[in-house]
Amino acid sequence: MGRYEGKRIAITGGTSGLGLATAQHLIDEGARVLITGRTPSAVAAAGRQLGDNAVAVESDTSSLPQIDALADRVKAEFGTVDALVVNAGIGSFDPFDAVTEQTYDEVFAINTKGPFFTVQRLAPLISEGGSVILNTSIANQTGWPALSVYSASKAALRSMARTFGKELLPRNIRVNAISPGSIDTGKLEKELPPERAAELRAEFTATNPMGRWGHPDEFARAVAFLAFDATFMVGIELVIDGGLSQL
Amino acid sequence: MTTYEGKRVVITGGTSGIGLATAKALVDGGARVLVTGRTPTSLEAARGALGPGALVVESDAVTGIDALAQRAAAEFGEVDLLVLNAGVTLAALLEDTTEAQYDEQFDINTKAPFFTLQKFLPLMPAGSAVVLTTTVSNVKGIASTSVYSATKAALRSMTRTFARELIPKGIRVNAVSPGPIDTGILERSMPLEAARQFIAQVTADNPMQRMGEADEVAKAILFLGFDATYTTGTELAVDGGASQL
Repeated sequence: MGRYEGKRIAITGGTSGLGLATAQHLIDEGARVLITGRTPSAVAAAGRQLGDNAVAVESDTSSLPQIDALADRVKAEFGTVDALVVNAGIGSFDPFDAVTEQTYDEVFAINTKGPFFTVQRLAPLISEGGSVILNTSIANQTGWPALSVYSASKAALRSMARTFGKELLPRNIRVNAISPGSIDTGKLEKELPPERAAELRAEFTATNPMGRWGHPDEFARAVAFLAFDATFMVGIELVIDGGLSQL
Repeated sequence: MTTYEGKRVVITGGTSGIGLATAKALVDGGARVLVTGRTPTSLEAARGALGPGALVVESDAVTGIDALAQRAAAEFGEVDLLVLNAGVTLAALLEDTTEAQYDEQFDINTKAPFFTLQKFLPLMPAGSAVVLTTTVSNVKGIASTSVYSATKAALRSMTRTFARELIPKGIRVNAVSPGPIDTGILERSMPLEAARQFIAQVTADNPMQRMGEADEVAKAILFLGFDATYTTGTELAVDGGASQL
């Protein structure tokens, strides 16, 4: 009997990295999980990996019609959910002066506007006593070069955790944020040229107080804590960063 | 049910409220627990509540530090989680606060945790953790809590510095910051009618429109103690949103 037997959770951006690790952790403890992704092949692969207790859905978080379709699908599969993990997001590593309007709009569409309307459209499906967890970033409170747009998009999301937190309380739904530092999802290697990825990997290891990257499972455990145990916690941001933003 | 089989935990101020709830969850999960307290009645009540699985030790937070560390060493050898939860609050306006009240609160809430951790360090292996109990009032301005809030703000600061200094030893240090928690202490420490009025006011002011349960703080302490392995130097507010919204 798993700790999350009978729980139903929707996770946006669940086909890789933190979302996939969280889905796996929850399923291992007995939950049923619906995940989303943009790339059909990745959605299919994640569905196969997670097995019978997962529903893998193709959905682009920057498209409102697709968010509506996602809400319909969640309703059809689960009726209601106990937790909504708004995790879909995109990185962006351009120096301030090289950022185009297109990049700017894309990052805010996926990291900020998509999450806003995902919560708006899926909130009616969250059961009383359930919760929302927004995946922010410790970059939202620091000034790292080349992260101006990304950090700002996540700072806006962190703010929404507070306002949503207040607005959803009358329905007894808790909203909190989880703020990861450098978690080893393989994303660097996927998104950057090998040399730059290796450079950043070494740099983040050297500058992290704990001297290491976090494991995706360490993120997943924090999600589960906020979803099910943190019953008197609203509007907080829980940092999983080896102490980087705190020390 | 999370299991804490084989874990050795010391909780100062563990005979009532948040400390006791944490001890209970740990004992139920199979941990070996040592809790401290000062008052004979609460020591007795804790023995009853925790049963033979826990050591309930009379210890003064300020004067008993060396003896407590020796006792923990003798009983457990090592300590996997140290919860520095003992604290005192003496509500008074700035103009009414005496030097004795000031010193007592800083001694118990700030200096005692500092030196308790210092004495316990040799007992704490790599992979162990410390959780300090602070308060949401350390980031707020609540009348009559100037000294109390300041003692806890100092403790929140120590959380960061301890965390940094103990990383080479593989020890994580975090704080849990409770808001209004229904521990029964109000009814015990003030006239019943005043306590009722205070509770009604706190409930009305809280975003969740209720007080928290000691058990809800205990869960956060246990998360920080055993699950939050990539988190150090942080403070978790368990306050129904009071400091966040």
